[in-house]
Amino acid sequence: MPALNGFLWLLLCWLAGELIVHYTGIPVSSGVIGMLLLCGALAINGGVPESVAAAAQPLIAMLAMLIMPGVTGVFFMIDQLAGQWTAIIISLIIGTLFSVFTTLWLLQRLMRDDHAG
Amino acid sequence: MLGEALLQRLSATPLFAVALTLTAYLVAMALLKRLGRPPWLPAIVLATALLVGALVLTGMDYTTYQEGARWLTVLLGPATVALGMPLYQLLPRIRQLWRPLAVCLPISATMAIVYALGIAWLMGATPETIASLAAKSVTAPIAMGIAEQIGGNVSLLLGALLVTGVAAIGFVSLAARQMNITDERIIGFALGVNGHALGTVRAFEIGPTAGAFASLGMSLTGTFTALLLPLAWRLVV
Repeated sequence: MPALNGFLWLLLCWLAGELIVHYTGIPVSSGVIGMLLLCGALAINGGVPESVAAAAQPLIAMLAMLIMPGVTGVFFMIDQLAGQWTAIIISLIIGTLFSVFTTLWLLQRLMRDDHAG
Repeated sequence: MLGEALLQRLSATPLFAVALTLTAYLVAMALLKRLGRPPWLPAIVLATALLVGALVLTGMDYTTYQEGARWLTVLLGPATVALGMPLYQLLPRIRQLWRPLAVCLPISATMAIVYALGIAWLMGATPETIASLAAKSVTAPIAMGIAEQIGGNVSLLLGALLVTGVAAIGFVSLAARQMNITDERIIGFALGVNGHALGTVRAFEIGPTAGAFASLGMSLTGTFTALLLPLAWRLVV
């Protein structure tokens, strides 16, 4: 089964991430280090082996389901965060409005300059 | 509600929690297909609402559920690593446009954090809440790692991600119209940087180019934020 083979590669990258975090103490999650290691390994390999794709694709496709248990928790925190909900919602919505405008404006300018230059 | 004895029996293994999660997810997917996938209702929101309903109906408490669901959540580790594959596939696009991206990405990703945290702070949110909101524009599996690093609450973070994702989808289409932007690369990138996975799904509905740039924006924002935010947090807080 190629997917098992690929899954083992993902686990090895994750474990390598754990080792790096453990020995260097850098404040980055082992998953992110593992992601960069996988990306680097694929670049060195010059392509995505079928086994890695067979494991990675279904995992990415079910990401939404994997975070459901965590999201559920927010419904059970409603009392705990009483009094802060307005601050939370306003900061997220207005913050996102500002950051969307910033990204669009900046990238539009930069791409124009890049094409001109 | 299920009887105490039955509930205890079912909670003895993780299988009941896993079955509840799978059911809620698949039912939500089927319902959304019927509804024609409205952009304001992401699958995860509906699926989670169904799951909460099921927990309340069966009388299972959240801590017990979460222990069982660990069987699923443990896969988030390898799933985060798996994101290295699309990142690798996007490398040619990065090389093509490295100059605008190298300037735009750090500024956008940083300002996404600064705006929201600044407003939350001004409005008197507690430090734990602020730490929970910090990774609000980063794709969930990466963001959860960041929240753990800086002492935020993972559930609140995930809730914040959903609000941010839905808001970003609305604001990008509004702002693009307002600013006369039709370049799919710009719209897609903005969706990915600000709206993480939810924005990326929306971008793929606009078109394959928008989708590819959204994936790119999402991967780069996640990587940039994961590498620098916890470090910056240590220095500032």
